Amino acid sequence: MLTYRIGIDVGGTFPDVVGIASDGSQTLAKAASTPADQSEGVVNGLANLAKALGLDLATLLGRTERIVHGTTVATNALLEKKGARLALLTTEGHRDVIEMREGLKPERYNMRMPAPAPLVPRRLRLPVAERLRADGSVLTPLDPASLAAAIEAAKAEGVEAVAIAFLHAWAQPVHENQAAEAVRAALPGVFVTTSAEVLPQIKEFERFSTTAVNAYVGPVVSRYLAKLAGRLEGAGYAGPLFVILSHGGIAPVEEAARLAVGTALSGPAGGVAAAVALAKEGLGQDLITFDMGGTSTDIALVVGGEAALGRGREVGGERIALESLDIVTLGAGGGSIGHLGPGGTLQVGPRSAGAVPGPACYGQGGTEPTVTDANLVLGYLDPANFLGGAKTLDLEAAQAAVARLAAQLGIPPLDCAAGIHALVNARMADGVRVATVRRGVDPRDSALLAFGGAAGLHATAVARELGLKRAAVPLFAAGLSAWGMLHTDLRYELAQSAVGAGGIPADAELRRLFDSLESQGRSRMAGWYQGEVTARRSADMRYGEQVFEIAVPLDGIAWDGPDLAGQLRAAFHARHRALFTYDLPEEEVVLVNARVAVVGALPMGEAARREGASGPAAPLGTRRIAIDGMVQEAPVFGFDALAAGQEIAGPALIESATTTVLLRPGDAARMDGRGWLDIALT
Amino acid sequence: MDPVTLAVLDNRLRAIVEEMGEAMLRTSYSQILNSSRDFSIALCDAQCRLVAQADHIPVHVGAMPWAAKAIAEAFPNPVEGDTYLLNDPYFGGSHLPDLTIVIPVFAESALRFWSVVRAHHSDIGGATHGGYNPGATEIWQEGVRIPPIRLGEGGTLRDDLIRMLATNTRIPRDFTGDLMAMIGAARLGEQRLKPLLAKYGADGLEAAVSAILDLSEKHARRILAAWPDGEWRGEAFLDDDGFDRVDVAIRARVVKQGDSLTVDLSESDPQTTGFVNSSYPNMRSAVAMAFAFLLDPEVAKNDGAFRPIEVIAREGTVVWAKPGAPVTMCTSHCSNEIVEAIIRALQHCCPERAMGGWGRRFRVAITGQDARRPGRRFVWHLFQARPGGGGSAGGDGWSTSGEWHSAGGLKFGSVEMAEARFPLLFESHEYRPGSAGDGQFRGGFGGRLSLKVESDGPCRANTAGDGVRHGAAGMCGGEDGKPHHYVLRRTDGTERVLKTKEVGLTINPGDRVIVEAGGGGGWGDPAKRDPAARERDAAEGLV
Repeated sequence: MLTYRIGIDVGGTFPDVVGIASDGSQTLAKAASTPADQSEGVVNGLANLAKALGLDLATLLGRTERIVHGTTVATNALLEKKGARLALLTTEGHRDVIEMREGLKPERYNMRMPAPAPLVPRRLRLPVAERLRADGSVLTPLDPASLAAAIEAAKAEGVEAVAIAFLHAWAQPVHENQAAEAVRAALPGVFVTTSAEVLPQIKEFERFSTTAVNAYVGPVVSRYLAKLAGRLEGAGYAGPLFVILSHGGIAPVEEAARLAVGTALSGPAGGVAAAVALAKEGLGQDLITFDMGGTSTDIALVVGGEAALGRGREVGGERIALESLDIVTLGAGGGSIGHLGPGGTLQVGPRSAGAVPGPACYGQGGTEPTVTDANLVLGYLDPANFLGGAKTLDLEAAQAAVARLAAQLGIPPLDCAAGIHALVNARMADGVRVATVRRGVDPRDSALLAFGGAAGLHATAVARELGLKRAAVPLFAAGLSAWGMLHTDLRYELAQSAVGAGGIPADAELRRLFDSLESQGRSRMAGWYQGEVTARRSADMRYGEQVFEIAVPLDGIAWDGPDLAGQLRAAFHARHRALFTYDLPEEEVVLVNARVAVVGALPMGEAARREGASGPAAPLGTRRIAIDGMVQEAPVFGFDALAAGQEIAGPALIESATTTVLLRPGDAARMDGRGWLDIALT
Repeated sequence: MDPVTLAVLDNRLRAIVEEMGEAMLRTSYSQILNSSRDFSIALCDAQCRLVAQADHIPVHVGAMPWAAKAIAEAFPNPVEGDTYLLNDPYFGGSHLPDLTIVIPVFAESALRFWSVVRAHHSDIGGATHGGYNPGATEIWQEGVRIPPIRLGEGGTLRDDLIRMLATNTRIPRDFTGDLMAMIGAARLGEQRLKPLLAKYGADGLEAAVSAILDLSEKHARRILAAWPDGEWRGEAFLDDDGFDRVDVAIRARVVKQGDSLTVDLSESDPQTTGFVNSSYPNMRSAVAMAFAFLLDPEVAKNDGAFRPIEVIAREGTVVWAKPGAPVTMCTSHCSNEIVEAIIRALQHCCPERAMGGWGRRFRVAITGQDARRPGRRFVWHLFQARPGGGGSAGGDGWSTSGEWHSAGGLKFGSVEMAEARFPLLFESHEYRPGSAGDGQFRGGFGGRLSLKVESDGPCRANTAGDGVRHGAAGMCGGEDGKPHHYVLRRTDGTERVLKTKEVGLTINPGDRVIVEAGGGGGWGDPAKRDPAARERDAAEGLV
């Protein structure tokens, strides 16, 4: 009897549900979008998956060993400003930290831009008389009267959540813990969170903001996950439910509810997890993920087989300083609108037609030409066979929309369509280039991994523009995020600042610091998981009074060896040299944060291999396409029918029910038996 | 030129300067560059026209072509592989701490572009640490002057020259590290332009550049044409020059006619003894900055966008000092006052675009010993307790986001980190209630900081700035923001008000510096303010 693992991604317009059976076979099902309650869509998608497998839902769930879920509940609460009503208890004299935003305002030349409303208005940022020093010692003991007054004020406002964030709580949580205890006692049922438990890391804006976000999304995420768990249980599921977190690892629902802010990037995390898994399968060590959807495109880097993490993330304008996948979002996708910009040139985006009205060719009232309309006019999409025939496209509406813009520009319509296509490619390439330079990566050594509905038509042009030699499109391109969730490990990230007036703590203190983080992580993991657990240590370090720390992996350190501090210093110099081409051996080195990632490896199952016996598939037909200034007939292949090892030279189109790949002249594709189209660019 | 190619190239050129900026950010050494981002990146064409500039520090907008021009004049026959450098405000620079690297880019054996990188260095020699010397009466007291020089040729650099310059600064390592980062970023610009030159041809690219500049000009003129014609005057004042002059006036007469604008600053007060004078390129840049603030943010900041402005000024005035005068403060003051005078004039012409004044800069640097780190001297610069931004038709001003010349681009560091690393206690750091200028949309609030110094023995402090007499201007009927008020409170309770231009102030352990920063100027008649907004400010404890 087959058993199953199921990944559920609600990141896109329609939730994707991927089931992987114990024989390695993979099945994708879709669900209707249910924005009011994602959990309804999830169960609906599971029912569709059961149907596709010829099972009833209870039977499928009874045979399911693991469900992993990517949720956008926290993200949407932040974007739509629909989180909990909360109060922030904070150190007296410092209640404006989250609104000051370190003095930064985006868009230098936009002087009439209104300031954003803070997550917690000033009158709900309640001062508590207490003060710690940077070494954790108490300067002013917590004043019970001021704490009681703050709790009273929070109560009077009927808050659903309370965030507690005091200065230097990273060094010593005693006051925060006292306050949390008092709040819990006085306000039962209210979601309470402290900065030391969310992120015991120095730099108050980042820690306070992350804590406030946790309180803001905490009640919403908790309610949602409880409801989902209830629905699954009701449908007959008794196995574990995991949530993929912003760092790309997964954790049980209880943990996701406790640290709800850690789910803010849960949606796009699956795609990056998939890229890491494909890198392991042999796709290549260095990848640039290119996930092009309707309104935006997500880009992430996989370097040396690992996804890059960062800490400077903003979601809905709110700073979240937790370790998160370093995903760059460009504001252009298939729905981006081509128009005459205010400067008089052709522009694509940032406006998008969204789901409603959608591109003109959707026939839902859109009249402006989108990237999708341009692609249809150029012949890259089949009007009769979009999404596997689930939707027909209105070619005439697309042509009319493009023609209107062409008239404004004074050029033939086909040139205008080609222009929209070329311009969006150029913008994508520029976005990737800036993202890679920012991270010190030369993109030319990487392969572009394209997925998401719209990426296949643009991937090789973007890759070529970047000077890459290779692009890949997984056969499973549409459900890749959900697939990725089933190919990542349990992960728990811990950090602790250890910055003092000196540079690096003494060896004994260093050992104690890292050992204590690791044992905390291992004991928490032991509550979820009994398998093999590994821990990886790293540190954020910098020179002297520099402002930015760099993340230094500490894999080769002899922890019981002599001169531990010296070893860490050497690791930092080497890392600095690798990133910035130089180091400064004479300069003082400062350790700011100790980090430990605790990972529990989950069984991934056997990858499905494609059989190559049936011989190369013949084209399904041909289509007239406009490419590189010429109109020509291009063969059209079915993606699913391609045999392992089959080679196709561009120009050609390769279609599946969920995506279309455009091979341009000079592109040479080969179907890899491991499940992706491997495209060499010349 | 077909509109699609034009759009692709326009995007490409802007992406190149952005990419150069990222490279600069990643590789620069000193805090002022990698945290405060006090640098600018530009591409100019062979005629030294500004083609694209990255949005970093507004006060550098439009300043870069002057540097390219100074190089082109000094070296009429550049060759491939040359690297040029300057900082002298009387030869294309703005003020001495800003060094500018200029690299020529060639194609088909002719000069096609200049790749330009400017960065503020943490020290440039001179009488005081960090380049701001309120006591300077001549430029030689402000630091090392570098007229246009050839720093290297054939792709290699003159190490001896670099060593000589570095030796004249207090932190040679920062100087050299930052200079290398600048050269790297400028070379990246060259590397990125080469494939474009090859693909589109030098003439093709030149035609595209001309078309891009023309489109930008058209865009700016289209906006200008919608404003009523007329002539208006505006005035703004510097507190003093640190010597004998008080209330130094910057006067702008602005004439708007059709789709052109004339800005006449020639009635401004004579130049001063102290360092608040402006160099010519900095004055031109301040005018461009004021204009850019009034346009739509989408207008590409290039040569075309600034063609509609004609600038009239007189040498020997505070906005255009004669060679030899000190000018280091000018990128903040009198830049901010030039902007304010112009916006004050134009508030009558385009009230919906005018914005209340942004705060003025008032720096404090403290140096001394920390008992926790014996033998190491610390130097701390005040970036907290920033002034407020101005209100506008778009809404209330941004609080604690700074001054006109940076417009929210300078980040202040973490209080926790400062306490961990310096013998300082930030007793309170919050908004300063009542500091914002009232208006239909009020200004942003300035910050208020109570800083207790816990050093080992006495510290020395310097100040450099302005704005304790004059607050940020209200516009269109809005009121001025409160000016700055900085106080040194001794342990015995006695207080002394800090002046904006002091050297060698003694601060003893236990003394407090109480910083009350100015608020932004209000916009529009206060009587029209939404009563709900007033109630909210009152409930938030901000009035």
